[in-house]
Amino acid sequence: MIGWLLALPALCILGIAFLWPLAALFRISLNRTLDSGAMEVAVTGESYAKLLGDDFTWQLVWDTVTLAASASAMAVLLALPVALLVRAASPRWRGVLALMGIAPLLISGTARLVGWMAILGDQGLINVVLQGMGVIGEPLRMINNWTGVRIGLVESLMPYAVLVLLAGLGRLDGRLEEAAATLGANRVRTFFRVTLPLAAPALLAAWLLDVVLGISAFITPKLMGGGRVFVLATEIYDLALESVNWPAAAALAMLLLAGLLALLLLRGVFSWLPGRRA
Amino acid sequence: MTLAATDTAPHLRLDGLVRHYAGAPAPAVDRVSLGLPRGALLALLGPSGCGKTTTLRMIAGLETPDAGRILVGGRDVTALPPHKRHMGVVFQSYALFPHMTAAGNVAFGLEMQGMPRAERARRAEAALELVGLAALAARKPRQLSGGQQQRVALARALAIEPDLLLLDEPLSALDAKLREGVRDEIRALQQRLGTTTVFVTHDQVEALAMADLVAVMNAGRVEQLAAPEEIFERPATRFVATFVGRAARIRGVLEPGGVLRAEGGAALRAAGAALVGQVEAFLRPHRVRLLGAGEAAPAGIENLLEGTLARRVYTGEVVSLEAQTAAGPVTAEVHASAEGAWREMQPGAPLRLAFRANDLLVFPAQGAAA
Repeated sequence: MIGWLLALPALCILGIAFLWPLAALFRISLNRTLDSGAMEVAVTGESYAKLLGDDFTWQLVWDTVTLAASASAMAVLLALPVALLVRAASPRWRGVLALMGIAPLLISGTARLVGWMAILGDQGLINVVLQGMGVIGEPLRMINNWTGVRIGLVESLMPYAVLVLLAGLGRLDGRLEEAAATLGANRVRTFFRVTLPLAAPALLAAWLLDVVLGISAFITPKLMGGGRVFVLATEIYDLALESVNWPAAAALAMLLLAGLLALLLLRGVFSWLPGRRA
Repeated sequence: MTLAATDTAPHLRLDGLVRHYAGAPAPAVDRVSLGLPRGALLALLGPSGCGKTTTLRMIAGLETPDAGRILVGGRDVTALPPHKRHMGVVFQSYALFPHMTAAGNVAFGLEMQGMPRAERARRAEAALELVGLAALAARKPRQLSGGQQQRVALARALAIEPDLLLLDEPLSALDAKLREGVRDEIRALQQRLGTTTVFVTHDQVEALAMADLVAVMNAGRVEQLAAPEEIFERPATRFVATFVGRAARIRGVLEPGGVLRAEGGAALRAAGAALVGQVEAFLRPHRVRLLGAGEAAPAGIENLLEGTLARRVYTGEVVSLEAQTAAGPVTAEVHASAEGAWREMQPGAPLRLAFRANDLLVFPAQGAAA
């Protein structure tokens, strides 16, 4: 009873700031868009039908999911050595290293992306240096395209992966690796036979979290894509503010939400799978 | 090196081992040297923080000594990483691989040796058979009880036929009822296989019951290295006398001629005349005989103390009678089944205690010049 009372403020905020707008969004998605572009209040699935019947939508879904999946995989791969380093560090350094691993979260995403532009742009650090050394003639295109979005996304997703891996690896008993060593396993074999299998659930959790964040990412594709990269989040933005087609934008947002929920349910399914056999 | 020399050389030799953690005021392990014959079981016994586990971890290669050498079978292994030392380790928490079955755990060390699959499956089964767990080979560690996990850990350590078996408090996670049985099983198995073993424990009964040799450690040093009987009956230092077994402490001055004048006024015969001066003597309860009223001290028993009963403690098999005497508080132990006047004694009742001069373990008083 007390528990419910204490949770009440949070539940109120959740209801007002999340559930209510969500319901409103769903209501809008059922409205009709007239040929004039005006919105007519109705209860129709036209917007959904149109979106689901459009090859462009499915191209967007494919592009968004593959982008998020690949960038997340890269982010987790890069985060794993960081998390392992933090785990192996002495208690004194552990906090400092962990903070460095998640420091990007302390800086605004927009500021970080502007930084990337200064590094990756045609007149950016990398191109200037490589051209100055005569390694390349024409500047490498690393921005305003998928490459730029991917780089930005990997960087922005990595801290979350580090956080999840730190929590996951923290529960991994170091004595297990010592036991493997006393049984004749060198560091490489210990890593692949003991550390990695036991870290697998944490790796999967980190990857899934990053995929969810990556699919719903908006600022990175918007800024690093330079208007040439289309993903679900940017398309929702364009539908709402450029085409001013609110029912379509709302319908696409609902579809995205459904997809993300399905992904989270999938994660639940993963955790039910029986453990690996030796 | 001649064959005879090889035979008498210790299988494990620690030579001036030192481990000093950065920032610690004193070394965790301070110049530990000892030798252990092949096939023997050594117990490292001491309170927590005495350096016994650090010593074991250095032998296993999990901790690097700051100074000193570790020799196994005459070979210096100090610089070898743990995976090249070929030692079976049973960790306090067992450290079984949770993602492998019992058989997978036991076969892991054999797999690392590059043994073919069929051969290692056979050997893993044999090792599990050894600890009576062949039927549970397909279970994951979390499906096993604490005692069963402990056996799997033991089988895993033994399966590689190690040069040395190292056990870090292997019984501490088991409940008291199970502990004694597992203790005797480990000892029987160790003797059957003839595996030279080092065993870390803070439990003196465990150490005395299992070991061929006991090294009592305190503050990073070995206070005494000896057979269990010797540790108990002839402790080399004041620390060993107080840490192993119970004892009443009698402070006083030892005079030339072997008379100990206790602070409480009693004059007692004591051995160890070399320690003339301020001393502390320790008297084990089981050495003290309770005399009946009017009963004369038996021949050869030099000391007789009169006192009053302060407290009696019943522990099932024995009853401890704590007496106030002219030598301070002294405890006598009687068998709970023994007949005698003590059965009716109430606190305050007079009693007479007898013990031999040799039963007083005399050490220089703490703080006094040795």
